Amino acid sequence: MINFKKLNIIETPWKIIFSASLLSSIGLVALSSISYQSPSIVQNPFFKQLFFLIFAFAGFLIAFLTPKYLIHKYAYVIYSLGIVLVILPFFGATHAGTYRWLNIGLPFNFQPSEFAKIFTVIALARYLSDNTINIQYFKSILIPILIALFPSLVVLNQPDLGTALVMISVIFPMLYWSGARPFYLFLLVAPILSILTAFNVIAFSIWALIIAAVIFYSNTKIISGAGYFFGNVFFGLLSRPIWDMLNPYQQNRVLTFIYPEKDPLGAAYQIIQSKTAIGSGGLFGKGWGEGTQTHLKFLPVQESDFILSVIGEEFGFIAIVVILIIFGYLISSIIRNSFLSKDKFSSLSLIGLGSILLAHVFVNTAMTVGLIPVKGLPLPFISAGGTFLVTSYLMIGLIMRFSINYSD
Amino acid sequence: MLKSDNLVSSRQFFIARSFAWFMMLLLGARYFQIQIVEHEIYRLKSNTNRIRKVNKNAPRGLILARDGEILVDNYPVYVLTAIPGEMKDKGSQFKLIADYIESDSSIIHSNYKKYYRGRFIPTRLAKDMNFLQLGNLEENKLNLEGVYYDQIPERFFPNGVRAAHLFGYVKEIDRSIRKNLKNKAAYELGDLVGWSGLEKQYEAFLMGQRGTSFYEVNASGREVGTASELDDTRPIPGNNIRTTIDLQLQLFCENLMNDKKGVILVGDPLSGGVLAATSAPDYSPDFFTGLITESNWKDMSTNQDKPLLNRYIQGTYIPGSIVKMITQAALLKQDNFDKNNKYHCPGFYQFGDRIFGCWFTEGHGSLNLVEAMSVSCDVYFYKTVTELSLENLYDTFNQFGFGSKTNIDIPNEASGLVPDKSYMSKRYGKSGWSRGVLLNLAIGQGELLVTPIQVLNYINLLSTKGSSPNSHFVFVDNLPQNVKPELSSDIWSNIHNGLRSAIISSNGTGKKSDPNFNDFLVFGKTGTAENPHGDNHAWFVGWADYNEKKYSIVILLENAGSGGAVAAPLAKKVFEKIIENSRFASR
Repeated sequence: MINFKKLNIIETPWKIIFSASLLSSIGLVALSSISYQSPSIVQNPFFKQLFFLIFAFAGFLIAFLTPKYLIHKYAYVIYSLGIVLVILPFFGATHAGTYRWLNIGLPFNFQPSEFAKIFTVIALARYLSDNTINIQYFKSILIPILIALFPSLVVLNQPDLGTALVMISVIFPMLYWSGARPFYLFLLVAPILSILTAFNVIAFSIWALIIAAVIFYSNTKIISGAGYFFGNVFFGLLSRPIWDMLNPYQQNRVLTFIYPEKDPLGAAYQIIQSKTAIGSGGLFGKGWGEGTQTHLKFLPVQESDFILSVIGEEFGFIAIVVILIIFGYLISSIIRNSFLSKDKFSSLSLIGLGSILLAHVFVNTAMTVGLIPVKGLPLPFISAGGTFLVTSYLMIGLIMRFSINYSD
Repeated sequence: MLKSDNLVSSRQFFIARSFAWFMMLLLGARYFQIQIVEHEIYRLKSNTNRIRKVNKNAPRGLILARDGEILVDNYPVYVLTAIPGEMKDKGSQFKLIADYIESDSSIIHSNYKKYYRGRFIPTRLAKDMNFLQLGNLEENKLNLEGVYYDQIPERFFPNGVRAAHLFGYVKEIDRSIRKNLKNKAAYELGDLVGWSGLEKQYEAFLMGQRGTSFYEVNASGREVGTASELDDTRPIPGNNIRTTIDLQLQLFCENLMNDKKGVILVGDPLSGGVLAATSAPDYSPDFFTGLITESNWKDMSTNQDKPLLNRYIQGTYIPGSIVKMITQAALLKQDNFDKNNKYHCPGFYQFGDRIFGCWFTEGHGSLNLVEAMSVSCDVYFYKTVTELSLENLYDTFNQFGFGSKTNIDIPNEASGLVPDKSYMSKRYGKSGWSRGVLLNLAIGQGELLVTPIQVLNYINLLSTKGSSPNSHFVFVDNLPQNVKPELSSDIWSNIHNGLRSAIISSNGTGKKSDPNFNDFLVFGKTGTAENPHGDNHAWFVGWADYNEKKYSIVILLENAGSGGAVAAPLAKKVFEKIIENSRFASR
């Protein structure tokens, strides 16, 4: 089935895997810096990462060599299997109070929610490429929303708020890509913001004015406009009961974000320490292995979620700029390939996968410098982490496959 | 199969791409803000984050005797400390410690609470650890994570001198103490501060400068090494202070006062320095070192004999006859007073409708001023003092420093009381008192109250004819100005004659104080102060001229009876000791 003849070497966008490898190399340098005092090889993040890079490369090859038509054909099957996989951890033992991990008899645990992002994108791309969406009718976007919402809700209950948000957010660029007017996307997002702003009277008033302005300039009929406006107000009123439904740790994260100075040894500790590490790095950093914040273990989860703090402290602003440029280049290339794609399925898959990468990069990078609340989201290619690394390279494999313009 | 064509417009492409790069730019800008603009803030933060400052208390300066012997020394004691943030299970660890050092875990717990200052600051659990206890702890170190021991300098008193009131004591600074300190910045919690006596008075000299060490710590607070870029400062010990105390004489006087209540002060009138000072009963000077138990403190503070009272500066006593020299001076200052004029003493004196008795009820017969001083006749003064006004007498008392503090160099001195017209009117009403007050004041009774240190200063002034420097305990460059009574040399020699006569004349009240040693000329006056609260207080005051030196002495024995009978013999012993010492020194 795998058709090597048709694989056009010239057309293959090697720059994508090259960018990813470059980022992984930077990650390895940072990991080796924090690894030298690790007691054993199994616990040494550097060797662990090398080990997982082998799996990641295998995953990349598998994804890259799988014919596109197969993926297209079995998109819904993969999606269904994926859902089962995501639900499975609920029947296993909890890890640190969460159901994120699946014990698969290996020395490492497996985190199916990482894969969920991929199959959600594929299923969405399949649906949106098969059907013409008329976004003005809510009925026509109900199914794509449900496709994204269902795995998101499962993941949210694991609970993994970060991954769930990434998964649900993918729907907006993909709808936009399939021709939805930004105004209708705005209408989709608006209720969420209504809920969030409802905690503050001033913010809620400003937000209500913005909604009114957008509705006014979009020449909506008076009745539907008014209905929409008051619908949002209604969502705002819902926010309090929804807040009470959140887990205390989720409430805590939001509160810590708003008042980080309240609890320097609690949840805000991570942000404070991370900012201190990054800020003290300055332009050129303290040098490899010289990061005092990092090496004295002031920084928690430094090898995964906060790897950028290590890099920022030891290699400085220069390294951060380099990383951001590589990510920007990578994502921009994916968008370009998506634009140039001949078929809609590839184009939508690419924009979906690119959005996932961008969401990860933004959330992780912004979190380490306190721009947004702490979300347990790692940085693609750079952070240590088994399943996530493999997933990232799987995505790269898919992206490269979808970027080759041939039809099979 | 993939039938539907891609219909993405270049506008969508442009917007998507711009959005992606905008995100990167936004992130880059935030990193620029933190890493470049606010770099300095975070650099400082990261340094203080990983560096722990540990204070090393400076040993306090020593307190020396006049010849350099050490009176108050420092002695290293082991204290058991714990770093709260490193301890796993406080309750069970406290129990273990209590077992190992044979203490009670509730005591350890209460210490922990008392000294707790922060999660990563060593907190004291127990003190005065001996080597056996340390050994026990060391053997079980694995169970005692976060428990350490440390050496701290503590006061000890090597020469057996008790003078607890003189030395005072130091206190460890806790929150409430620190709040009330004047120069807060110089102290941190756990530092020692002089709390009374010389320790308090000379705090600035004695305290020294604390040293600081810097350790690099990790996030859990464990030390992982020294911080190489920061220099440690070694503690600078405090300055020693040399007191005017004569070690041998001090020990001798302390022994004399065993089982007695009262004061012995020995001074050097020529310099104002105090050679020996005892206030009995007192307490062991290390009473306040270490932790005082509640019951110990209760016993001490409620003791009827008031051992905590420093009698020679805080005790106010009725002086009795020892202030007759004031009356004598006041009389002699009057132009129309004839010191040779004899007055008859029948043993009592009638003033208005009141009878004032002489202490010698049989009567002294006729006497002049010097004779009256010699036998301490009261009636002579009753009769002569009627020529004086209350102001005359009051002023003379003031000239000799009574009624105000002597500015001796230990804190909390009392000022005593010399009544004047306004005081009496206030106390008894305008017509509630009569000139009888004058009669009482003339013989040192009535409202008059003095402190022994005022009396010593008064004796110093008498012996030096008004030129003695201010009394003091420590050799310093800038003594406060002493009072300087101006009297003619005639008056001075008349006073000296009276005091000499009290010692050497056959019926002199103070003759029991004379050691009868060649060239050792004793001048003195006894006093038996009527005490409204109990038995009479016995006084002996005076000085000796010997080898061009002068030795002043003040002895007060509470509720002991007659000055001539009990205080004077004690003075003799002190004088003999002085003679013995000076012969020993000259040899």
